[in-house]
Amino acid sequence: MKHLKLLGIGLILLSSLSCKELLPELEDPTIPESDRIVLIEELTGASCTNCPRGTAALENILKKFPGKVLAVGIHGSFLSEPTKKSKFDFRNPKAKDLENWFKPWFGKPSATINRQLIKEDENDPGMLMTFSTDAWQAEVEKELQKPHEMNILLESKYDMTNRNVTVEVAAIPLNDLFGPHKISIYILESGIKDAQADGPNINENYTFNHVLMDMLTKHDGDPLGTDLIKGQVYKRTYNYTIPIKEGLFDPKRMTIIAMVNKDNGVDKHVIQAKEVHVTE
Amino acid sequence: MHTKALYSLIFLLFCQNLAQAQETTPTIGTFSGNFETNANVFLRDSAINAINTPQYDRQFFGGEAWLNLNYQAKDLLISTRFDMYNNSNLRIPNDSYTGIGIGRWYIKKTIDKLQLNAGYIYDQIGSGLIFRAFENRPLFIDNALYGISAKYDLGKSWSVMAMVGRQKNAFDVYGGSLKGARVEGFFSLGSEEKPISFAPGIGFINRTMSDEANDNVRNALRTYQDVDRFSPIHNAYSGTIYNTLTAGSITLYTEAALKSTDIFFNPFSEKTEIIGSTLGKLESKKGSVLYASISYTKGILGITAEAKRTENFSFRIDPNLALLRGLINFLNPLNRQNTYRLTARYSPAAQDISEMAYVMDVKLKLNKALSFGVNGSNISTLDGDLLFRELFTEFIYKQKRKWQLTAGVQTVQYNQEVYESKADVPMVKTFVPYVDFLYRFSTKKSLRTEMQYMKTKQDFGSWIFGLAEFNLAPKWSFEASGMYNTEPKKESPRGKLEKIFYPTAGFVFYNKSQRYSLRYVKQVEGVVCSGGICRLEPAFSGVRATMNTTF
Repeated sequence: MKHLKLLGIGLILLSSLSCKELLPELEDPTIPESDRIVLIEELTGASCTNCPRGTAALENILKKFPGKVLAVGIHGSFLSEPTKKSKFDFRNPKAKDLENWFKPWFGKPSATINRQLIKEDENDPGMLMTFSTDAWQAEVEKELQKPHEMNILLESKYDMTNRNVTVEVAAIPLNDLFGPHKISIYILESGIKDAQADGPNINENYTFNHVLMDMLTKHDGDPLGTDLIKGQVYKRTYNYTIPIKEGLFDPKRMTIIAMVNKDNGVDKHVIQAKEVHVTE
Repeated sequence: MHTKALYSLIFLLFCQNLAQAQETTPTIGTFSGNFETNANVFLRDSAINAINTPQYDRQFFGGEAWLNLNYQAKDLLISTRFDMYNNSNLRIPNDSYTGIGIGRWYIKKTIDKLQLNAGYIYDQIGSGLIFRAFENRPLFIDNALYGISAKYDLGKSWSVMAMVGRQKNAFDVYGGSLKGARVEGFFSLGSEEKPISFAPGIGFINRTMSDEANDNVRNALRTYQDVDRFSPIHNAYSGTIYNTLTAGSITLYTEAALKSTDIFFNPFSEKTEIIGSTLGKLESKKGSVLYASISYTKGILGITAEAKRTENFSFRIDPNLALLRGLINFLNPLNRQNTYRLTARYSPAAQDISEMAYVMDVKLKLNKALSFGVNGSNISTLDGDLLFRELFTEFIYKQKRKWQLTAGVQTVQYNQEVYESKADVPMVKTFVPYVDFLYRFSTKKSLRTEMQYMKTKQDFGSWIFGLAEFNLAPKWSFEASGMYNTEPKKESPRGKLEKIFYPTAGFVFYNKSQRYSLRYVKQVEGVVCSGGICRLEPAFSGVRATMNTTF
């Protein structure tokens, strides 16, 4: 019993130990001056109760790095059905296909930052999607530190008489880029007011931004070329007729994003992205 | 997984033991083991939302297998387990996971009063409030401690154990480390006629977060407004003190656990944003759990009452992990563990941030033929918001060995907003009458039938469930069951209110210690609980085959 008491006292003393840890200050990294633009593709949904947290994280990043980050909100299948109080259904075939293509992912909100593979360890095959919204900014900062490898020139010509938009893209590599590459063109709409599940409630006056409405390429992109040569111009032209749908597809609120990514097996990282307004 | 080193070590120990055995005793120890496998064929069914996973879209087959092999000789035990996941939906229910390798190995050696344990260790302190390393296959939980433990017997009734290691993560380990110790024992007071016994214990756990996990916390905090920021420490300390008191017909278990300031994700806490606020953020707070269980059994009466208070006791190896990943401890849910399909449909998962739970179970055995049972539970937040309430009654009548009738009713209130993170959904209220009738035609032939009806206006609406199970002992068992949505309240993926039938049919074959089963299954989306832990799982459509054996 004597030994026991000593051990008990020892354990209590041990458990009460809380040595003061030496911790460095929380600091923001220095982002180099560069024309590199980072693309965030977010899986979200109107019925996703935690998704407003993702939207807030996204908007904070866009405010913190103005002009350096672009966002796409993908309303696919999972938790993307309209709420009981919704006016609109943001789901569309391209969004559903893209959401499936991004699998595996743990849940929503999730986002991929420049389609970089996140691995837990060397044996982990990795995921493109990061579940923790708190981690998104750090991934963006990492991507902004990387060298700028491509310029994208993007132009939109909108004809209001027939709602036709012509998109002209020119991708100019700043280095030789080896392997196959793809181009994706996203049609987005922002400033849509509708209902969103928000924790235990439904927010009927929620603002939806960067909603993926359609794509002018296949959901996983069209081939741009293999072994891109420095300084060569890779041009593409797309045409799109903006649908007529009450409350949606307002050209003034719509933007177009062009994105070029590598497509070499598991390496699908985004090289560069660019955004223009449809009516510009 | 250092497989070569492991095999070399096991081989050396085996040879050494063989040599020793040959010198001292003719026996060279025994091999034993078990094997378990599940195989699923996925059949796409858009009507029940069994779609959009790799298994339904293109893989069509998925399964798991575990082969456990033990070698024991006197005071040495060597064990290894081969794990295989092939397009498995266990790790992430709506995704596919493949992994093959040595899932577990350990060596246990007893030297006089000392017991050494190295490898992947399963153990717990107290009831698991501060530490529980365990395996739960249906939920892909295997959080063994990869390390070493040493237990020393302090006389006949007391022991002290210390351990150190890292937490298992599938075929790898998480960063960070765990250290812990436990002292527990037994003593008795009172007279020989009326003894009062005590089984006290005290335990301690220290978790040191990995630098990588801490960097992730720091990166998160950099995105927080000043009001939500805190100092991201690596270490958390948790201690518990517990005792089982037995006095005559009364058994009282009490445990109190405290946790030092620790970082955890609180999904209910308001986070300040640049504009407005959102729900959910990392917090740094102290935590506590108080748990008590008292049972009384005498004559025809048996009573058990339990209470648990939980505050900020999310304890993970890495606070950035979510769902069932990286859990260091185990918080038992205080509700009845139901087995019938509809009575088990709404089950609460233990809440680690804020929970006050009570459960009481009364059993009355009037005679050999007749018995009654009543179980009531109430779970709320510490602020008093109701999470779960259940009243379950059970009546059992046995007509000698010819037939047995079990019947009762259950009422449940289930907070779907909290347990399933669904917005603007009302409290699910159900009323379930059920009947279970077993008839024995002979010592070998019997028929068991179940009938349950769930009346509810919420979630999917009302259900009826029926089952018939014909047993041909000792080899065969055939079953067919069906679950039907009689008053659907939720639109199917086709956008309609459809009365969908979910059938299941199959058989089980036994051959000595082997068990084989084959079933065609259509299963509705719902909460699946195993060992007191629950998670929301999608619908299933397909064929399930299982096989297990011991040897």
